[in-house]
Amino acid sequence: MFRHVFVSQSLSPLKVAFVTLLVLFGSFGVGLSASATGVANASDADAAETEESSSPIDVMGKIADHDYIESPFGKVYLPRIFWVDGQFYTYSSTKKALTSGDFIEKEGVIYRADETPITIDLSITSHLVYVWLGFILALLISLWAASRYRRGIGRTSAPKGALHNIYEILYLFIRDDVIQGYIPKEKAPRYTPLLFSMFMAIAFMNLFGLLPWAATATADLTVTATLAFVTFIVTQASGTKTYWGHIFNFPGVPLLVKFILTPVEILGLFTKPLALCFRLFANMLSGKIMIISILGLIFIFTELFGATVGIGSSVIWVSLTAVLYGLKVFVALLQAYIFTLLSAVFIGGALEEHHHEEHDVEHDDVKVMDPINA
Amino acid sequence: MELGLLAAGIGAGIIAIGAGIGIGMIGKGAVESIARQPEASGDIRGAMILTAAFIEGVALIGAIICILLALGVGG
Repeated sequence: MFRHVFVSQSLSPLKVAFVTLLVLFGSFGVGLSASATGVANASDADAAETEESSSPIDVMGKIADHDYIESPFGKVYLPRIFWVDGQFYTYSSTKKALTSGDFIEKEGVIYRADETPITIDLSITSHLVYVWLGFILALLISLWAASRYRRGIGRTSAPKGALHNIYEILYLFIRDDVIQGYIPKEKAPRYTPLLFSMFMAIAFMNLFGLLPWAATATADLTVTATLAFVTFIVTQASGTKTYWGHIFNFPGVPLLVKFILTPVEILGLFTKPLALCFRLFANMLSGKIMIISILGLIFIFTELFGATVGIGSSVIWVSLTAVLYGLKVFVALLQAYIFTLLSAVFIGGALEEHHHEEHDVEHDDVKVMDPINA
Repeated sequence: MELGLLAAGIGAGIIAIGAGIGIGMIGKGAVESIARQPEASGDIRGAMILTAAFIEGVALIGAIICILLALGVGG
């Protein structure tokens, strides 16, 4: 039943892959600035870690951005790249930077040896690594699916294999229900690659957070802000005359009201992507905190009532965590869906060609046709 | 710091009440509409999730403020 889809739209997964690549490298710039603030936070968390080394579970340390990624074989340190007063410094890890003598650490913040603060910290951090992983996985899967569609699998026959079937179901769901539901149909193909790659990448980033050792990149405000910034730019870039007219010169209202309405509308431009990034960030963060906190109850109970009660109660907490994990898988996909949906709604709202005269006529029609109100 | 914790606790409770009422009303509306028009359940579900996401957004901004209060970031 889906065969017609890929015949009519010339190899869309390839376009998805292409846009994923674009966004991947596009995100590099913003992602770097994201990592800059992230590292400052990370060093704060490190400082806190040394202070409170007595607590068995380090909640904030699990959430914060780090200069290393955790793996089953120990910590893998990531390169540090500093830009100080027009000069680049690169080191393979924070330790190398400090032992080289060019940089010193003071209260968790790294300065150059002459105590100049770092202008831009371009270091690669754990969250940035997982952002890249998410985008690269989305890219690879799209390229793989595109190569299969090019060979005719899924076009002349039904898609084969579980992965291919899942890809096609997700793609069609996002394209038909989410994107074409809110963006006018003739313009939807332009935005499908961007929104679908966003969906895939966010879903992967969210799901990565469920793996042990891995970090949730979307539980970092800078990452979600980068993604929301992409939506913001695309929305403004695709704004029609009607869209801007509704912001700066709302039709059909008295002049005095416009003085109030225009600032509110301009504010609305920014609150939409702001809420978008906060929603994803807070959902992923709260899920992560909740799981760590519930597991932490084992240690709190041990401290309060002794080891026996602690170990005994762990049955409850571990099973509760298991249930929460199932919920988090659902939330991870749901939040990716909601992010894509709201992006589509915002872009669709900007694309709308709307006429107020028609609106009034429509209302009159409804009144006549509605048997209850007539 | 102590007052910050108190404020965070009370705030989180109020957020839960507000978001609970809001999402509950959406759920009520959606279920009633689906019962009235089962054939439109797909559209209704989409609108329900969208509206719930907006409420959730406001609630989560409140939750973040509570976390900041509890961590003493606000001073």
